[in-house]
Amino acid sequence: MSSRGSGGRSNGTLPQTKICQFKLVLLGDMAVGKSSLVLRFVKGQFDEFQETTIGAAFLAQSVCLDDTTVKFEIWDTAGQERYHSLAPMYYRGAQAAIVVFDITKPETLERAKAWVKELQRQASPNIVIALAGNKADLAEKRLVEYEEAQTYAEDTGLLFMETSAKTAMNVNELFLAIAKKMPKTDTQNPTHAARHRGVNLQDPDAHSSRACCGGN
Amino acid sequence: MAVHSAVNGTTAIPWRSSRKMLTLLEQLKGCQQAWCPGAPWDREGAHRAVSGTPTGSFLIVRDSAASQPSVLCVSGGENDAVLDYTIKTTGTVFQLSDSRLSFSDLAQLVFFYSLTRDVLDVALSIPKWIYSVTDKNKGRLSQLEPKTWLCTPPDQRADEMTQKEPSTAMCSIQLTSSNGALCIINPLYLREHGDEWLTHRVPASQGVALKRERRISSTRAWAGAGIQCKRAISLDQEGCAASAEGSGLTRAQSADSPHGPEATAEEVGASTGVVLRRPSREDVSTLPQRLSTESLTVMSHSNRGSLTSLGSDVQHGSPVPMSPHRVSWIEDGVWLAPPRPSSLLQPPSLELDSLSISSMEEEQEFQASSSPSHHPSAHRLADKVINRLSAVGQVLGGLVCPKQRLINRVQELSERKGGSFADTVKGFVEATLKKGADSDGATGSEFLQEVRSSLTTLREALLDYPEIQTLLDSITDLNELEIESLVELSLHKVAVKPISAHLYSCINIARSKDGTFERLQSKLLVLEKNEVEGLGGSPGVGVPDCAALDRIQQRWTRMHEAYSPNKKVHFLLKVCKSIYECMSANSSSAGKVFGADDFLPCLTWVLLRSNLITLQIDTDYMMELLDPTQLQGEGGYYLTTLYAALYYISSFQPRLATRQLSVEAQNSINQWHRRRTLHCDQSRRSKSRRTIRRQACRDRASQNPSTDPEGRGESEKDDDSVGADEAQQGAGGGAGLQPLSEEKEAEQEVGDESLTPSSASSARMQDVRNKRADSKTLWAWEDQQR
Repeated sequence: MSSRGSGGRSNGTLPQTKICQFKLVLLGDMAVGKSSLVLRFVKGQFDEFQETTIGAAFLAQSVCLDDTTVKFEIWDTAGQERYHSLAPMYYRGAQAAIVVFDITKPETLERAKAWVKELQRQASPNIVIALAGNKADLAEKRLVEYEEAQTYAEDTGLLFMETSAKTAMNVNELFLAIAKKMPKTDTQNPTHAARHRGVNLQDPDAHSSRACCGGN
Repeated sequence: MAVHSAVNGTTAIPWRSSRKMLTLLEQLKGCQQAWCPGAPWDREGAHRAVSGTPTGSFLIVRDSAASQPSVLCVSGGENDAVLDYTIKTTGTVFQLSDSRLSFSDLAQLVFFYSLTRDVLDVALSIPKWIYSVTDKNKGRLSQLEPKTWLCTPPDQRADEMTQKEPSTAMCSIQLTSSNGALCIINPLYLREHGDEWLTHRVPASQGVALKRERRISSTRAWAGAGIQCKRAISLDQEGCAASAEGSGLTRAQSADSPHGPEATAEEVGASTGVVLRRPSREDVSTLPQRLSTESLTVMSHSNRGSLTSLGSDVQHGSPVPMSPHRVSWIEDGVWLAPPRPSSLLQPPSLELDSLSISSMEEEQEFQASSSPSHHPSAHRLADKVINRLSAVGQVLGGLVCPKQRLINRVQELSERKGGSFADTVKGFVEATLKKGADSDGATGSEFLQEVRSSLTTLREALLDYPEIQTLLDSITDLNELEIESLVELSLHKVAVKPISAHLYSCINIARSKDGTFERLQSKLLVLEKNEVEGLGGSPGVGVPDCAALDRIQQRWTRMHEAYSPNKKVHFLLKVCKSIYECMSANSSSAGKVFGADDFLPCLTWVLLRSNLITLQIDTDYMMELLDPTQLQGEGGYYLTTLYAALYYISSFQPRLATRQLSVEAQNSINQWHRRRTLHCDQSRRSKSRRTIRRQACRDRASQNPSTDPEGRGESEKDDDSVGADEAQQGAGGGAGLQPLSEEKEAEQEVGDESLTPSSASSARMQDVRNKRADSKTLWAWEDQQR
């Protein structure tokens, strides 16, 4: 599914860097910090790979593994129960999912479990699911023990980390762990890799107003 | 312009006079010590030396400390003024501090600014004697002194050059200032491929063949992939038919030439790979002449106010090269390919190629009517202004955005009388207009899926046209998928525009029938009193105020007016952006970034204050007609969200558990699955570059919609392939078939999804944007389509 064009038009002069692109969906109850987690990941590190988007509900970010650039397109979902039935539209075709809960709210773990169950039944069979116990910085308010979630994750075959969007704890690690687990069989056109190197001809912001010539 | 006198006309190199001629760039490099002397030369010394020399004479002085080139001192010509320009050195890259153009060595910088002044007040002038330097005496170059460098009066050169016949002037650089329009030919291209093609008198057929051969070989070199060769061959074969029937051009083709890009001009000329023959005047036509006459034609067309596609080329192109002389179009990336290690400028012939074929056709038609270019005096005129016009032609070729030219060309193809593509498009449009949502009980969705499928077929057919191929080959910075997307966009104008109103009415009928509109209206009454918190938004999230809501409504209107689904997505993204801005700006918690938890309620809030019926129609239109690859990325995300919000409104059931779905809702989602599954498969097929025979295409267009075997096959698979390898075969949702009593389960089944192609189009567009390092995406380009 991660296949891109085979690059028939690539100029072929640059060293091959594998670029894999994946759709990652964020699930979890409202206000567990889904967006904050991703924002921390997208804005916090790897600035050079950051792509601008119009808002935080859809974000794209790349991480570099050894020989591979893994690009995530991150689809956030509304966590409210009333919008639950819309979720399949979002997680369809996703190759990865992060199900987020709040370690200070046990009911959000229950909701997370329901999401995991649904994903395992409905989503792509090879979807990589990660469970994130967010707000780990609020240790004094913790109501979900690490072991409890850890055990659940092991039993269910999930990646699990406790994270804090606030302190950035484990945020990049979580995405890296997912990236490592993704199948990286397909490469993207190497010309895409080319944009990260070579002579810098332009200021990145110098072209925002360019219109194609010849508008009528 | 006095300023340009130094570079006016033809700068000649007696190419044939030596066995091994040096290019100007090599010559410049050879005598770099002369124009870029080291210590003890400093700025003052350079000023003294340059002062009083002819306009454009220059020296570059080095930083005394770092020994890096630091200042370009140019003679301003008047009052012995000397103009200074700071040179920035970043690593091994040189640029003028006022310009964004970078060069990998100083000679290239000098060479470039001798062709165009860009940010300079005057173009650099290179002494004439340098052109006579050959391999034999190049050793002397390195011994030259700055004083020698400056001593030759540069005007002399221009005078001589303008008197030379093109047949004798062996050009390396051909450039003209015509109303300030400059044409620049990439010196690196010349170094690579020679410059003989510029002026050498060859029969037109050979010239074009040579050019085409070169194009093929050069693109092949860049592509470095077998697929390119294969396509070129098959296209040439098809070209026989296509160009013959379309324009009277005949194209003979021999075996694919083995020459790589390093083949010399002679070699290439000798083993002609492809012959494109013009029925008349081929023996006397030289390449520059051809360009000039076509420019004449172009001008005549526009003078007559003709709105042919080429005429519009001119309209697009002509304002650009006029004053001011700053070559912003280069900096804007229209001309420039993405940075390559060795070359910053795109080979010129790639740009010219596509212009020329169409222009020849135009020319023929034109000659048939009034034939002014057949007239002897016109010929003489053409000869006189040959350089000017060729420059204009080349500038146009380089300036008119390749994407715009693609649109024009597709339009042209679709209007060509008797052309197969025109027939296909016409057949498609007529067949589509005859059919509708009410025929054979087909749902609106199924009907639209057929339209989508036909569009994909048309796109494939277009990609197989040699003329389109030629044009696409000139766009070297896009990959296969981007090319497809580009062709898709160009197709919208000819194939979607004529049917869009009909499609609206079909969706309208279908959605009225299935009760969606009714539900939307009734749920609107229930929900419209809700503030955003009532829709699930977190307390304090901002919503658009009246003014913002007005702007959003205007954008919805424009979205509805757009016929291209891609264009609609473009407006959708604008609306979403406005909503985000309002969420933050009107928020009680400043600086908070809002995710989907708040965006979906806010969008729903906005929808409840918009025309839901129209929005539903537009959403269906986009969902069904967008190329499946576009359903990912940012556009795909927000389209999904729009769809989801509308769906939430229409299925709102206040008293029931929110997680259960109505039958209608299940059907709705199920339909949605099917469409995507169907399209996924098509898209995969299209990637294998399957040649779709036009005959088959025509047949299909005239077929009854319900007999599409592929479509049905896909929908059948929908129901039984749960758990199948989704990457290969989208597993369709069986949700619609779930009995209502299993509401919870049914809801879960809804999630049974297939994968969409991972080649996200929005991402692709971001790639384009990144590669070209600007924010103009295909969306933006698409703005111009209307």
